[in-house]
Amino acid sequence: MANNPIVFFPLAFVIAVAALGVLLASNPIFSALFLVLSMVCLGFMFLAMGAFFLGGVQLAVYAGAVTVLFVMVLMLFDLKDNANPIAKGLLSRFLKVSSIGVFVGLITGAVSLTKYYPVPVKAADPSSMESTRVLAVGLFRDYVFAFEILGVLLLVIAIGVVSVSRIKGGTHDRA
Amino acid sequence: MDAMYIGIEIIKMVVIFLLMVQLVPILVWIERRGSAFIQNRFGPNRVGPLGLVQLLADAVKFAFKEEFIPGGSYKFLFLLAPVVALIPGVLAFAAIPLGAPFSLEPFEMFGNTWGPYDLKLQGYDYGIGIVFVLGVSSLAAYSLLMAGWGSANKYSLFGALRASAQMISYELGLGLSLVGILLLYGTFSFNEMIAIQDGPLTFMFMGKETIIPFLPNWGIFYQPLGAILFFVSVFAESNRLPFDLPEAEAELVAGYHTEYGGLKMNMFYIGEYGHMMVASALMATFYFGGYNLPFVTPEAINEMFTGMGFAFNGASLMTTLVSHLILMTKVFLFLWIFIWVRWTLPRFRYDQLMDLGWKTILPWALANTVITAFVVVLMRGA
Repeated sequence: MANNPIVFFPLAFVIAVAALGVLLASNPIFSALFLVLSMVCLGFMFLAMGAFFLGGVQLAVYAGAVTVLFVMVLMLFDLKDNANPIAKGLLSRFLKVSSIGVFVGLITGAVSLTKYYPVPVKAADPSSMESTRVLAVGLFRDYVFAFEILGVLLLVIAIGVVSVSRIKGGTHDRA
Repeated sequence: MDAMYIGIEIIKMVVIFLLMVQLVPILVWIERRGSAFIQNRFGPNRVGPLGLVQLLADAVKFAFKEEFIPGGSYKFLFLLAPVVALIPGVLAFAAIPLGAPFSLEPFEMFGNTWGPYDLKLQGYDYGIGIVFVLGVSSLAAYSLLMAGWGSANKYSLFGALRASAQMISYELGLGLSLVGILLLYGTFSFNEMIAIQDGPLTFMFMGKETIIPFLPNWGIFYQPLGAILFFVSVFAESNRLPFDLPEAEAELVAGYHTEYGGLKMNMFYIGEYGHMMVASALMATFYFGGYNLPFVTPEAINEMFTGMGFAFNGASLMTTLVSHLILMTKVFLFLWIFIWVRWTLPRFRYDQLMDLGWKTILPWALANTVITAFVVVLMRGA
């Protein structure tokens, strides 16, 4: 079942096209909707590869909750004709183009320096409850401290965002 | 996995989709007659026996309505939204077992021997059942957002924003209210849950097994609070009264589908009723024994039909049909409760809705989870 080509290639194609659409769409709403498409197809890709629990969580959390918030917030603004050129001004243009170059160089470097070797394909556990249990043991016993620290980090981000938006000149300035 | 099996599976998916779509007119009829009954009116009773053919007339009217696309709208999103509205309901419904599996002996056809097959009355069985259903049905918010944004109408947009905020808020309560029962069952798979709910009510109490012979082993007796919280949350998820703020007529004309007419509006309706069907089927599966009658296993039904002189295939087919009818009876009972509540309770105010979601359902579901976890550990005697 894992990596059936009839399922894999169409899904991979849609994921790649949708990811490109996120970058290339001039309207932010369409950009966000492409992100949704990419997330949903990624969820189904997990399912097709036998990672059932991950697939379900990907659909419920990323596609179903996080990106809904993105789309919702974007819809609150009036964003009709926002197709700007890549940058205005010589310095800004130079910085943006050169940072793109650095980024592309980093990726090609990373890919070309990677050693290729055939990964031993492990058959997915047919019992999905077992793979869920392995995941739970990893998250809540073996790596519980790393997991909890990540949770605290997210809490810090949430509090930080609220406090930043409330300082003088922020979007929710109380003064 | 031969050609015959794959063909049967594909036909099964189409049948499940048609089942969901074709149940909608019947539900609309029940809703209109039921609301009339509740409000002491007649309801549609002129066209055909009991007004049943009224639905056909409505369908013809829907199909022949003029197509209307508002100016300044995003045409692609506007046309895509009703189609997307169907997808989550269908995908979720197909993941729920609708009856006991149907076993087929090897048979000959087209010069080949096929089988034996063990066909599930279920679109697909991922084994994570409920996680998949929750994930897929959470995608419903996008169709409303696309409709609201795409139709370039402020009432539509307000409706869509309300709908998505409501769905996200209640999804937390919905998920948490199920954790208790999942802890007790120890599985995500619907089929295993249904198997666990066989027989009389059995549990460990103070280190010894206690059996209450006159009650079935249903989830509702273990998790009454969880069942209530779950049922309230699915009301909010399917945007039904008293939670139909997204299409509050008094404030927003018709909410996210203000600009839609004819078959396109109809598709939103099918999506809404699909959510109700999924919710009812989940209630039946989680808390009311799924496709089993209390104290009667599918094997017992099968033996009864074999005793009546049916062959292997016939007995299996009859078992599947009987279990399907049992589940459908339970589902229709819950669908009737949906309709009953809609025509009984008035709509909430938006702040009341948010209070109920975040300050009532979420804490109670959390408490239910914690208490259940303690009880499970104590019962195990660890």
